[in-house]
Amino acid sequence: MTGMEAILSGGLQGYLVVAFLLFTIGLATVLLRRTLLMQFMGVELMLNAANVALLAFARFRGGDPQGTVFYLFIIAVAACEAAVGLALVIGLFRHRSTTDSDRAASLKQ
Amino acid sequence: MFLTFALITLCAALGMLLQKNVIVAGLCLVATFFGLAGLFLLLANPVAAAFQLIVYSGAIMVLVLFVIMMLNSHEEEPAQASRPVQRWLGVALAALLALGSIKLVSASAGVAALAKSGAAVPTAMTLQKVGTTLFAEHVLGFEVAGLLLLVAMIGAVALTKRNL
Repeated sequence: MTGMEAILSGGLQGYLVVAFLLFTIGLATVLLRRTLLMQFMGVELMLNAANVALLAFARFRGGDPQGTVFYLFIIAVAACEAAVGLALVIGLFRHRSTTDSDRAASLKQ
Repeated sequence: MFLTFALITLCAALGMLLQKNVIVAGLCLVATFFGLAGLFLLLANPVAAAFQLIVYSGAIMVLVLFVIMMLNSHEEEPAQASRPVQRWLGVALAALLALGSIKLVSASAGVAALAKSGAAVPTAMTLQKVGTTLFAEHVLGFEVAGLLLLVAMIGAVALTKRNL
């Protein structure tokens, strides 16, 4: 099967498969784990999957620097998301003494 | 080399998903980021690999581990209600997405053509190329990113501080 060979030898297909699998694992982390911090790490994983696909396409288009520039923008947004997301987790812990997303089901105190 | 780094990345990510202890899961995520930095090096992009190590495995993971230790929530709390249907639906959805994407990528003619036409390794990305592109074509985006970071910093302080 030629498709499998292209994936295993590290062509563009291989990087795309790694990106898709990373995204899937991140999605599964968000869906299956209840701790908010774990879900946050799953979101980080999904952002990184997008980075892998972006940089792989940039390299196979002849080393386009635009890909790296947008990678920098994604990192900036991820850093903002990390700061605000963790602040929200700390805020939830202050009010409810829990980091379990199932226990944060009502809007009232 | 590609297989080594891809396996490091995927095994560490899977370890993060299955790990019970949140701190160990965070360290698995650091291993994932190291594997990703290796993949970026193989993509002839040492700039991205350096940023991956500095920003992700350095800054962001230190922040995450700091919050885990501050909240003292090392273990997952016991579930209020077991939701087997939703959990199995989640697993099925993730498996479907993984299998479908592998099939899609390996069968796609456009991706195969791009992989063939760009197979020659390009010259390695340099900081100079990135900087020139960033400041010649994306100055506005750069400024907005700086503003966004400032707003996020103020927001984080406002959210965590008890009374301003």
